[in-house]
Amino acid sequence: MNKILVVARWEFMEKVKSKLFLIGLFVTPVIILAVSFLPAVFVTQEDKSSKVVGIIDESGQVAPEFARKLESEYHLSNGQPNYIVRIISEGSLDSSVAAATQLVVRDEIEGFCVVTKNPAGDTLAAEYRSKSVGDVVLSSRAEQTLREVVTQVRASLLGLTAGAVKTLLSKFDFSISKLSKEGEKEEGDFMKIFFKVLIFMMMMFFLIATSGQILVRSVIEEKSNRIVEILVSSCSPTELMSGKVLGLSALGLTQLAFWALIGLSVAFQSGHSVILPSEGLLLVLYFILGYLFYAAIFIGAGSPLNTEQEAQQINTYLILLLVLPVMLATPAMKDPGALWLRVLCYIPFFTPTVMALRISIQMPSAWEILATSLLMVAAVWVAMVVAGRIFRIGILSTGKTPRLKDIVQWVRTG
Amino acid sequence: MLSVSHLRKEFDGTVAVADVSFEVRRGEVFGLLGPNGAGKTTTIRAILNILQPDSGTILYDGKPFSEAVRNAVGYLPEERGLYKKSKLLDTILYFGALRGLSRTKARGEALRWLKRLNMMEHVQHKVEELSKGNQQKIQFITAVLHDPPLIILDEPFSGLDPINQELLKDIFLELKQAEKAVIFSTHQMDQAEKLSDEICLINHGKVVVAGALRDVKRRYGSNALALEFQGDGAFLETIAGVRKAILYGNSAELQLEASANLRDLIALVNERVELRKVEIREPSLQAIFLEAVGAALPAGQEARA
Repeated sequence: MNKILVVARWEFMEKVKSKLFLIGLFVTPVIILAVSFLPAVFVTQEDKSSKVVGIIDESGQVAPEFARKLESEYHLSNGQPNYIVRIISEGSLDSSVAAATQLVVRDEIEGFCVVTKNPAGDTLAAEYRSKSVGDVVLSSRAEQTLREVVTQVRASLLGLTAGAVKTLLSKFDFSISKLSKEGEKEEGDFMKIFFKVLIFMMMMFFLIATSGQILVRSVIEEKSNRIVEILVSSCSPTELMSGKVLGLSALGLTQLAFWALIGLSVAFQSGHSVILPSEGLLLVLYFILGYLFYAAIFIGAGSPLNTEQEAQQINTYLILLLVLPVMLATPAMKDPGALWLRVLCYIPFFTPTVMALRISIQMPSAWEILATSLLMVAAVWVAMVVAGRIFRIGILSTGKTPRLKDIVQWVRTG
Repeated sequence: MLSVSHLRKEFDGTVAVADVSFEVRRGEVFGLLGPNGAGKTTTIRAILNILQPDSGTILYDGKPFSEAVRNAVGYLPEERGLYKKSKLLDTILYFGALRGLSRTKARGEALRWLKRLNMMEHVQHKVEELSKGNQQKIQFITAVLHDPPLIILDEPFSGLDPINQELLKDIFLELKQAEKAVIFSTHQMDQAEKLSDEICLINHGKVVVAGALRDVKRRYGSNALALEFQGDGAFLETIAGVRKAILYGNSAELQLEASANLRDLIALVNERVELRKVEIREPSLQAIFLEAVGAALPAGQEARA
């Protein structure tokens, strides 16, 4: 036990001073925040100058009102209207569209709406064309305004008074709230939960990926300069591996605590309660289990290797396993109770990340938490035993990289 | 202290060590000799429990390996590796702690050894800032720091300059006086000859010559003639009365037939080359080595086993 602590202390102290760790400590949160928030910031960025929007109106009923509404509704920060509407009418519909298209190509207008009349009846169809359809703000505002105008026109056709039309069109707010298990309403809407999930998963991903690489690197360094001979003549390979895992876990938890501190202080400042204590504890539990599980996998996969290049390849595959759940975040949010999601929770490679995902979206039932964490404990145990058997022989093997067959043999003869 | 009997180890069908037995006592410097690939390092790794022998037993003070043995051995591996980015004192303390030393004890001992090896100016340096020879001295310190009764040094002299080789020889003597058992492997026979009390020469995984250095030399006879001369000594191999000649540039060692007439022989040699020194003595370890191994090994060869 004592020697495990000696190894753990060494691994921790040496790695905590290393550049890789310090960079990870400060750069990772920046990357996570950037990836999470930057797209949103860019999308919702306010325009600096007025944009010209064209409209081609085959029905002849909506264009003027559309122009008035769009121009008067939205303003730039300096009070100027955000949009200027240009009504385009060149005789036939086709020639109008052709002319408007030319205007877009020449950057004279941002885009244009085409409102066509369905020949079969009085229904309308509308379309927005632009070079930058990614400008969600403009297209959704145009759609919104168009819908209001059409409703207004139809309402007056039905003989409603102007006042009645106004009542009909009066706006109301619509927000989304998350209910906790106990039925209490929690603060937070879709975007908030989405970012929370994304941040947790990315934190877990970065921590495991960087720690795994640190681990494999240190093993390969010790192998290539044969320090490992001194190490395994001083302590047993099991003690060496346990010490490494322990030291590295302490390192990971330090990193996590540091990030949590930043996160909580940011949350506190902005007055958001991002996370409930029960959620936090469970996330830490799954984090530790996942961390240990992947540490074992990295050791098992890394110790038979001899060069950094080989290690890079293995790392790539392992990291793919970790990335997969991050990509599941969006579909999981739509249906947190989906069968496939519940099944994934019982595959140890995905358990920690998928459970973290589910906990942040909708707390799974107690028995699911119990079952998956027990499963993880067992998986960690099995992975450690297998990794230990590979490690014991792997760290002393040099020369040609052992084949999978050899490694299976090592595990069996444990 | 240490008893190895009938050690055998194979790797994927290749026999690294076929049958090796020897004993090492306290207060003894034991030379484990042999050409490259003879099985020296494998034997050492088995003693250190780094690898498990296929058969044979290794006893430490009469007992099989236990965790306690780990703290009772010191080891300098043949390949010199240290953590490059770490401070050298930290590294020494780490290896000391791994052998069961307390931190304060380790620090005191580390400073004492650093002083002894003239390394004090480097205490705050990182390992990568040191020369190769100095890195090797650090490794040596990690092998002896915890004052182990059994010290195993794999090729301790290779890579050291003459000054440090002398320093290390002095330390060998101190360790011997302190009743340590020192095992060192080498294929530099002159080093082995000067330092060993006991030798074990192995070749192809088997013991070829073993015993106290004195006895071994006696067994190989005292009919050896060491010459120093100027001129071409190639003819020495062919003259009558010489059983075997080992030629160096300006010197040679001749092993003589029992019947050889020393006076005639010297006169004969003196005609052909300009003799500077003639000495009758026991055969050198180099000569014994060459005869026992039966293969030519150029003097001073620095290849690694």
